[in-house]
Amino acid sequence: MKNFFSNLGYFIKEAKTIFRVDFLSNIFSILSIGLIFFILSMIFSGWEISNSIVEVLEKEAEINLFYDENMEGDKIGLLIEKIESIKGIRGASLINEEESYHRMVEILGKEAKILELFDENPFSPFIEVKIQIEEIETILNRLELLDGVEYVRDNKEIIDKMKNMITILTLVGILVIAAVGISTMIVVSHIIRQGIYNNREQINTLKLLGAPNSFIGLPFLLEGMFLTIGGGVLAFILVAFLINYAYGQIGNSLLFIPLPNSKVIINDMLIFILSLSVTFGIIGSLFGLSSAKND
Amino acid sequence: MIEAKNVSLTYKDGTIALKDVNLKIEPGDIVYITGPSGSGKTSLLKLFMGIEYPTEGELRVLNLPMTKKEEANIRNLRKIIGPVFQEFKLINGRTALENVVLGLRFLNFSPRQMIEEGKAALIKVGLGHKIETLVDHLSFGETQRVAIARAIARKPAIILADEPTGNLDIDNAINILDLLISLKNKDTTVIITTHATHLLEDINEGTFIMVNEGNLKVESRGEA
Repeated sequence: MKNFFSNLGYFIKEAKTIFRVDFLSNIFSILSIGLIFFILSMIFSGWEISNSIVEVLEKEAEINLFYDENMEGDKIGLLIEKIESIKGIRGASLINEEESYHRMVEILGKEAKILELFDENPFSPFIEVKIQIEEIETILNRLELLDGVEYVRDNKEIIDKMKNMITILTLVGILVIAAVGISTMIVVSHIIRQGIYNNREQINTLKLLGAPNSFIGLPFLLEGMFLTIGGGVLAFILVAFLINYAYGQIGNSLLFIPLPNSKVIINDMLIFILSLSVTFGIIGSLFGLSSAKND
Repeated sequence: MIEAKNVSLTYKDGTIALKDVNLKIEPGDIVYITGPSGSGKTSLLKLFMGIEYPTEGELRVLNLPMTKKEEANIRNLRKIIGPVFQEFKLINGRTALENVVLGLRFLNFSPRQMIEEGKAALIKVGLGHKIETLVDHLSFGETQRVAIARAIARKPAIILADEPTGNLDIDNAINILDLLISLKNKDTTVIITTHATHLLEDINEGTFIMVNEGNLKVESRGEA
């Protein structure tokens, strides 16, 4: 360890020299690794955004309960009380026709003009029920049994679809991470082997002078990390630019989608890409070193 | 320090390099290994460094058996050997000092000690004025001296110099030989191979090993 710190400057200088000797191959490797990481980053950011949307939707989960329109005010009040007594319900409130109409005007924005085509308010009053999403199955069963309930509209289908999408993205993500890992390791280990071949005389001299393998291998390990971190930084710049651009485009036109903060996504991406870069750099270099040793 | 008992070395292609070698080298000895090209001098040094292993017999260097099984320990043993290779094995594109210091980096020297020892070794071989010169820009004789400086900076127990006078003119060859002889002391054994027997005619102290077709003839002169 003492030798490591006293020779750190030497190791970095050596790694730079090894990089310079095969400059073009190393540059192309960084570009390839950058593009590979970029694909992975896109999938990761898609997964994180979807996950965040589902979390928001789950927190704000609500059910709209439509009742018999002939029901009178007292009975509606009683129905609300019964609803609120069900386990897993956080609150229930009556939304009358006018409020229903105004909400739709807010959602539609400029397109709300279409509502002017109706002679009368087309919306019915309903009871808005805020729920704990994990209790949704029990709540739905119990609500349907209540007197006067005509129809229960839930967002379960949308949430389920989102969850399915996340499951698919997670699976694709795992596959892509595996593919990225293998591709990166192949690229890095190939470059390391090439570096070892180019420096074989120097390595042989060091062996004859009694240098341990760790001393000989460290500059190559650093080179591998330069490559993957370089690729990672490139991927991060691309993906950060793309996220900012996409938020600028989508965020303004789809205000009702609860997108997570872009800065949070970008920060998470930075940590994710850099951690993977360092990990794959080390594994790829060690793989290259051990395979060269076995030759 | 070095003891060979009935050591033979036959290469994989069947070439017999050394036959039934018996010798004992004590600490502080100076040993000259001579013989024509291809006689087995370099093979003997390769055995001492653990680059090759005896195919028969037993060889011990600093009490370590030189066998494949001891590969890891042999790598450590090399840390206390100062080799001067026939083809120098210096790193081009680096200065004389960088080359010397490279041989010290994995030994127990502090960064400051490495520089100090490196400079002292280069001054000792007469290259104090070329410390920062790239080895690519040095003459043949100077390059040879950098290789010697790299060996002595390590403060080795054994200096192994393979044909250090090869390809040098007579004056430079004598200077290099004198330099190597001056390195011998009670802690440092110096082993030199050379095919230039005429250079050894006036030397009257040391162990002289004549190698011919893999056979050794040992002669001692003077106190050594």
